[in-house]
Amino acid sequence: MKIINLKKNLGMFALDIKYMELERGCIHGFIGENGSGKTTTAKLIAGILKPDEGEILYDGLCSREITMTSQKPYMLHTSVYENLVYPLKIRGIKPNETEIEAALEKHGLLEKKKQYARSLSSGEQQKLSILRALIFKPEFVIVDETLSNLSAESLSLFENLILEIQKISSITWIIISHQPHIINELCDNVHFFSNGQLIESGKKEYVFFNPEKPIVKAYMQRQAFGTVKAR
Amino acid sequence: MDFLNETISLFSDAGIVNAVNVTLIMSAFSVAISSLLGIALGILLEQCNFPGKRMIIRLNRTLLAFPPVVVGLIVYLLLMRNGPLGAFSLLFTIKGMIIAQTIIITPIITSMVYSFAVKAAPAIRVFAATMGATKQQTNILIVKEMKYEIYFAIITGFGRSISEVGSVMLVGGNIEGRTRTMTTAISMLKSQGIYTEGVALGIILLAFAFILQWAAECFQKRESEDENY
Repeated sequence: MKIINLKKNLGMFALDIKYMELERGCIHGFIGENGSGKTTTAKLIAGILKPDEGEILYDGLCSREITMTSQKPYMLHTSVYENLVYPLKIRGIKPNETEIEAALEKHGLLEKKKQYARSLSSGEQQKLSILRALIFKPEFVIVDETLSNLSAESLSLFENLILEIQKISSITWIIISHQPHIINELCDNVHFFSNGQLIESGKKEYVFFNPEKPIVKAYMQRQAFGTVKAR
Repeated sequence: MDFLNETISLFSDAGIVNAVNVTLIMSAFSVAISSLLGIALGILLEQCNFPGKRMIIRLNRTLLAFPPVVVGLIVYLLLMRNGPLGAFSLLFTIKGMIIAQTIIITPIITSMVYSFAVKAAPAIRVFAATMGATKQQTNILIVKEMKYEIYFAIITGFGRSISEVGSVMLVGGNIEGRTRTMTTAISMLKSQGIYTEGVALGIILLAFAFILQWAAECFQKRESEDENY
């Protein structure tokens, strides 16, 4: 996937990305300060926002194969189960009950299958939103700070789930997070944003542990990225 | 005992039963038409951006405060024999009353649905986009997610319809057995000094209002987040 001369003006904030390449089948980490353009870029890729200028070359990827989860996921006014199977229903796919129950059980949501989804805790809602995003087996998944509110145990489960999926399929992921250990555990490539621009982009080993640009170096030191050891 | 018998006989009085029937038929049809128009207009207004949108919203809000008796007068002038729609012979019929009621209720439902949609629809639309929903699936989801708010708007419209008197008096003419509603009957009975039947009709209206409010409250209760399915 390539992004060329992408511009988006949101009034108080303007995004301007000259060129960006997202290798298919890899896990990409988006890092940067709050308001640096990570989420806006992700929303443009997901088709939630339309660019003012420039283009995104999807390399044959259809918009229905891209999904995104956010920090405050939207829960439908219905049960946990109905929330989970919504992406299947709109695609006319019959839910595989055994598979669904196994996924819910693994993530501690089986007992809450018939519960009103909005009555779940924020961590449980985030777990449900990730499972819901993955249930229709998308080609491209954007996880925007969704892993932040999870307990250490749930986070480890999801990290393993993402890595397991990655072993058997070639999904492309964008993980947006302020937590260095999540980026380090999961990502192959890291992209650093600042003031609506892409500053540095490349393999994690370089951007994460040996950045070229001083602004990236300073950010890494502030966020204590340097204290994280290479995977 | 005599009082009880008198009350029972009042409720089984053909005139009262007929007024209740006319009121319910008129309200049901006018609310059904207004709901279809109001829901579609409310959601379209939220979705579309076009020049003059703010003016339409302002105009719709103005219509909320439009006196029903003036609506009745306008519809009367349109439907009278020499009026532009006189050929349809709708004056002093339930159909004519439904037209007047639809004009009164549609802005109420439109305004309520629009207000709810402004708050809820953007998040639903973003969610639907991330799930890969088509435009049609997104619109269906918006209506589904707002169903309780929409029910509430419909109930409010129905409440307004059964309690309206000015326009139905003018357009319907308060003809016994044909266009006499509960409210026009009460108005007439009062002017004739017949208070017992008037109070009986008032009690029925009050009962309807209570049931409607109860239903509206039930729909609002779904916000309680501990509800289980």
